[in-house]
Amino acid sequence: MRPVDGDAVATTAAVAERFAATADERAAFPAEALRAMRDTGLLGLLVPTVYGGGGGSVGDVVDATVELGRADLSVALVFAMHCQQVAALARYGGERLREHVLPAVAKGDLYLASVTTETGTGGHLLTSESPVALAGDTLHVDRRAPIVTGGRHADGFLMTVQTPGATTPHQVDLVFAARDQLTVEVLGDWQPLGMRATESVPMRLAGDVPAWQVVGPPGGFRTIAATVFAPLAHVGWSAAWLGTAAGALSRVVGHLRTGKRVDPSAELLRAHLADVRSRLDVVHALLRHTVHVLETAGDTTAAPVQLLVNTLKVRAAEECHRAVDELVDVVGLRHGYLAGSPLRLERALRDLRSASLNYGNDRLRLAGGALVLLDSKVRLA
Amino acid sequence: MDAEFVALVTRHLRYAGAGAVTAHSRLRDLGLDSMRSIELLFAVEDAYGVTIPDERLTDATFETAGNLWTVLQELATPLPDGTR
Repeated sequence: MRPVDGDAVATTAAVAERFAATADERAAFPAEALRAMRDTGLLGLLVPTVYGGGGGSVGDVVDATVELGRADLSVALVFAMHCQQVAALARYGGERLREHVLPAVAKGDLYLASVTTETGTGGHLLTSESPVALAGDTLHVDRRAPIVTGGRHADGFLMTVQTPGATTPHQVDLVFAARDQLTVEVLGDWQPLGMRATESVPMRLAGDVPAWQVVGPPGGFRTIAATVFAPLAHVGWSAAWLGTAAGALSRVVGHLRTGKRVDPSAELLRAHLADVRSRLDVVHALLRHTVHVLETAGDTTAAPVQLLVNTLKVRAAEECHRAVDELVDVVGLRHGYLAGSPLRLERALRDLRSASLNYGNDRLRLAGGALVLLDSKVRLA
Repeated sequence: MDAEFVALVTRHLRYAGAGAVTAHSRLRDLGLDSMRSIELLFAVEDAYGVTIPDERLTDATFETAGNLWTVLQELATPLPDGTR
């Protein structure tokens, strides 16, 4: 087993930072940072030690993701989403599937992408309109997805599909497929405003996989989503956004101190800086508290826990974006708004604009409203 | 499960279709999303004159028609005129 430590994170973050501007400019996947994750063992952080991985906790994923987010939001998102796939496999994969996949992840040979988007479902995670055909013990998959983060570079995929024989789109399975089991087509371009290096292209993935590569029991995705996928997505994304906003504040403070460019007695400046910092402290406190609750709560699908996890996602998305937006006002047009500024606020702001869309805040508010009605005693998690 | 309950549950299922809802029917699979769960909850509470406590409003309670019926039976107390 290779230990995963602060050096692995620092090494990967340094590589991410070095290539971030080019990756953003070209909307190209951060291949060098992924190489560093493979080489340092960071890719296997969440893999249990019995399979040769780092045996890390969700808290360890948060630590690493925040640090990567300071350097490049796209790299942090790629890492966090990979960890989300690993967690689902480690917890719900059958023994044969775990033996097959997890040691390869630990060795750095298997970067996993998530295939949950569908054109017809409008971003609804828990439904699928992609049928599969079961013949004997073989599943024939033919899956189109409008957005697959890192899909062009992934070594394997976890994809949602309809349960074989499903009679409604609410019967959903999660299936692992290695890249070499599939015919992989990239169906289009990726030219977004921000998080450009996630290279989240539209894809078609088709092939035959043995039925034991289904994660969990038939129709089991709903439970996987409620207990692993949704919580880890929201925790991981929030950590990535927090890291990016913290990196932006750190560069601005460095700029203000080393250049002696401002009058520290200016009241407006100090008030803005305090605001920005408090936004980050609030998100950080909420993030750590949520991780603690997830690690200690008996039933993480209970309404108070789900509400907390959703609140983390919505508030982190809002506060991190606002924090960087406010920093642009602090340093002004030349240092805050120009693409070439070493403070890189322009990129951070573009990147963080995606936060409210990456599983839509509006959709989570609607789900939250229903959950509030299930908890009349307001049992605060 | 009585016929009134089956009819009530069926009305809240987008994909109940022609098949009869049984105790083993998996409500989520048949289209019971979070908002429909609330509507169903309000409807059964009205129909059976009960309030399901927060602690029972879990994923398990809404997993199958039979689970929801069992919770209702545990809570329902006979009315003074003996009709229930």
